[in-house]
Amino acid sequence: MQLLAQILANGVLLGGLYALMALGLALVWGVLNIVNLAHGAFIMLGAYVGYYLFTLFDMDPFVALPISMAALFCVGYLLQGGVLNLIARSAMFNTLLITFGIDVVLTQLAQILFSADYRTINPSYAGSNFMAFGVTLPWVRVLAFVVALLLTFSMWLFLLHTRLGRGIRATAQNLGAARLYGVAPKSIYAMTFGIGAALAGGAGDLYGVVSQINPYIGATLTAKSFAIAIIGGLESPLGVVVGGIFLGIVESLTALYIGPTFVDVASFGILVLVLVVRPNGLLGSTS
Amino acid sequence: MNLRAKFLLTAIAVLLLGALPWFASPTVIQFGIATLLLATLAQGWNIIGGYTGYASFGNSVFFGLGSYGTAIAMVQWQLPFGVGLAFGALLSVLFALVMGLPVLRLRGHYFAIATLALSQVMTAIVSNLEIAGRNTGLVLPLLNGDALFYELSLATLVLATLTIFWISRSRFGFGLIAIRENEDAAASMGINTTLYKVLAFALAGVFSALAGGIHAYWITFIDPVSAFDLSLNVKMIIMTVFGGPGSVLGPVIGAFVLSGISETLSTEVSTVASLFFGIVIVTAVVFMPRGLADLIRRFRDTGWRYFNENVKQHRL
Amino acid sequence: MKRALGFMAFTLATSMSSAFAQETITLGASVQETGALANTGRYYRDSYKFAVEKINERGGVKVGGKTYTLALKILDNQSDSNLSVRQYVQLLTQDKVNFLLGPFASDFALADSSVAEKYQVPMIQGGGASDQIFNRGYKYIFGTLPVASKYFESTIAMMGKLNPAPKTVALLYADDAFDVSVANGTRELLQNAGIKLTLDQRYSSNTSDFSTLISQLKSSNPDAILVSGHETEALNFVRQAKSLNLAPKMYSFTVGVPTADFRKALGKDSNYAFGMTPWVISPTSKDLYFGNAADFAKAYVARFGYDPDYHSASAVADVEAFVKAMEAAGSLDPKKVRDAISQVNFPSLYGTVAFNATGQISLPQTVIQVQNDQVKAIYSQNGMLATPQYPMPPWDKR
Repeated sequence: MQLLAQILANGVLLGGLYALMALGLALVWGVLNIVNLAHGAFIMLGAYVGYYLFTLFDMDPFVALPISMAALFCVGYLLQGGVLNLIARSAMFNTLLITFGIDVVLTQLAQILFSADYRTINPSYAGSNFMAFGVTLPWVRVLAFVVALLLTFSMWLFLLHTRLGRGIRATAQNLGAARLYGVAPKSIYAMTFGIGAALAGGAGDLYGVVSQINPYIGATLTAKSFAIAIIGGLESPLGVVVGGIFLGIVESLTALYIGPTFVDVASFGILVLVLVVRPNGLLGSTS
Repeated sequence: MNLRAKFLLTAIAVLLLGALPWFASPTVIQFGIATLLLATLAQGWNIIGGYTGYASFGNSVFFGLGSYGTAIAMVQWQLPFGVGLAFGALLSVLFALVMGLPVLRLRGHYFAIATLALSQVMTAIVSNLEIAGRNTGLVLPLLNGDALFYELSLATLVLATLTIFWISRSRFGFGLIAIRENEDAAASMGINTTLYKVLAFALAGVFSALAGGIHAYWITFIDPVSAFDLSLNVKMIIMTVFGGPGSVLGPVIGAFVLSGISETLSTEVSTVASLFFGIVIVTAVVFMPRGLADLIRRFRDTGWRYFNENVKQHRL
Repeated sequence: MKRALGFMAFTLATSMSSAFAQETITLGASVQETGALANTGRYYRDSYKFAVEKINERGGVKVGGKTYTLALKILDNQSDSNLSVRQYVQLLTQDKVNFLLGPFASDFALADSSVAEKYQVPMIQGGGASDQIFNRGYKYIFGTLPVASKYFESTIAMMGKLNPAPKTVALLYADDAFDVSVANGTRELLQNAGIKLTLDQRYSSNTSDFSTLISQLKSSNPDAILVSGHETEALNFVRQAKSLNLAPKMYSFTVGVPTADFRKALGKDSNYAFGMTPWVISPTSKDLYFGNAADFAKAYVARFGYDPDYHSASAVADVEAFVKAMEAAGSLDPKKVRDAISQVNFPSLYGTVAFNATGQISLPQTVIQVQNDQVKAIYSQNGMLATPQYPMPPWDKR
């Protein structure tokens, strides 16, 4: 019982971070209909920003979080304006291909610039924890969880209550309608992609605190983000949080009861299942 | 150029390619095997992606099943290579039928993501299967005969290309193209879209599985990561799109050109090869999103404006 | 049509550039310079280079009364094992290298050794230890990493000498060729030592979240935890063990602990971790080209800017073994050199290099531990070398 409670707590905390990772992907997919295969590379870059701020300037990773996000916002904004925008009306698999190409380029550049050394963001409190109801809770994961929820919640408010946010939501429905909000589609596209990248950057910064960083962590994180975005749905940021926590719990329980080598079978199996069982609900948002 | 001339030229090219092992160095033969197999895979993707319009990321699953079918038959059951190939192809067809039915109901990105997830699931399942050697993989017997592998790969590619040639002029092919252009309209025209799509998926599976089986026996070692390699699937798409999706020879040309580039890069500039390859992909998608075939057709009239016009046409 | 012509031209061009008079002996290797394994791949690239340079400085190689310079051709396999197989064929058939040096990691060595066997050109590799590589009856593959199944042998021997000796052990291992070999061997070793295995768990390679496993470990509470996995996994495991307050009496990792990266990434948290290395940097070893292991390590840092570990030493031993074998064979004939390799027996900075019947070196593992941010040699065949810090204190008492 004790063990089960601990495992569930682990799963929920992991899920919070998962949700933040997937949030940007879901936003970009839902609004721009771009499946961004370079999303994991953005997370990786965000982690490196956090790492260098921590190592060179001794900056706390939670203080570095906004900087990491701002840096990635610029990367995303420029990439969409300078590259992705050029094929915005091209065939669907062209966007898949180009984001894959961008992923390769970013990963290789990261190896050249940052080397393949394994890095961690390791502040003195990184491993500290506290007990609650007989369950050990790592401070960093709890904080990351809270930050993830806060960011998700502010995303939600932003989409609902700001001019730009309403423009973005309108774009998701209909490009023409977006003009009614007085925002040019071009700038909406770049802003949305930038925000998506910024969320990935924030997730990366937190990821570096709980795990290790190297230029090649992106691919698996992209795959995970897909699973969460699909399970949670693309419509609302809150759905992504549910998806993240759900996946975190499923993975933890699978590792415990079936075995750690079956984690991927479970998470991607559920992804396929969700897609297949609810094709109408999910299809509705693409057509 | 009329069809007969085209056919004749292609036949001569095939004969020349077939004669290659008698005068080429082993490095060239090996490059040939890899390229022919990639071209076969690109043709497989062409059926489901190019003709039917379903951007599959599950074709690497077919490749993996072909590899594992062959390896399991040869290593665990001591069966001959031919039986292994057939077994691998059978596994692929079964997979296409069982998973194709539910997954092919999805459209657009959702299909792409579902197949992407399937390939992750298959990797994870195979790495837990005792008979597949779990994640440590299987070692196949060593056969010293690259010429044989070369001819086999060439034969498979010819078979795949002939099949696509048939598709391009058959009722079945028109059905697939109708599905690509407008699936609802195709259904209302009385096309059994489910059947057509599943058949296309299975057909793609057979050729990919054959390529996988040949590759496994040639390389002599497979493990889940290399057999279900997702980047291989991306290569299939790039080669098809680069050459011209939905055309008979486009993907083959795409595979030859891109393999040549990538091989030269990995020999000449070694450590930045991947970086360059990434840049090549991005540039190609931006400036020639409709592939090499379209470029060749229209470049004569438009000249360098071709690239500019492409960008103008597709940007927001 | 154009395509066919282009192809033929390419063929002719490549087949003409073959025969050259040979004053150099070229060793060829395809290593991971980029891609997921680049971090360890660089040890091989740099060490091969370094060894070849040093050997040439020392006058090159004397084979049958003639002196040759040694050359090196390295290709980057981008951490793709299929590409590496093709590159080895290319090295042999197009670049006409004389002999092959290996890549990093067991699965690569497993795939690439078939090229050596196919073309009957010997490959000495210092990057793959899995028993699978050497169990196939191949004649042209030699390895300078010790047998995978015995990686934990010295650790388990040391455990018997600890006070109080660990009675229960948990074994975690990744599911790749090398780590499965380690686990199979370790199970047997534990049984022979009479130590109880309370948790025996396989996990997926590249796992980044260990929180479930760590929670399970906490509730089964073994005295010692043995982890056989990759360096990234070792890093994640230690970090998450701290954050979930898991502190067994000891834990040990097959890889990671000897590297500078491990200490740099974990800082103080790397302390108390046990590990192993077949190579101890000591001035007592004798090496014809580098003097001794300590001199080598110094020169290596000066040259490449990072600390060498056993991967580097193993790679240097590969190059030196070829030189010894060629000199003994008095010929560059691959078959004769192959037979000579099987007979070599010489001291090097890595240890005594000699191959057993299957082609693998036998070197004992020295148990090491990170103590006060330094790697210390703790235990070898000859007994305790230093006092182990045991049991490991809980995280909040450090």
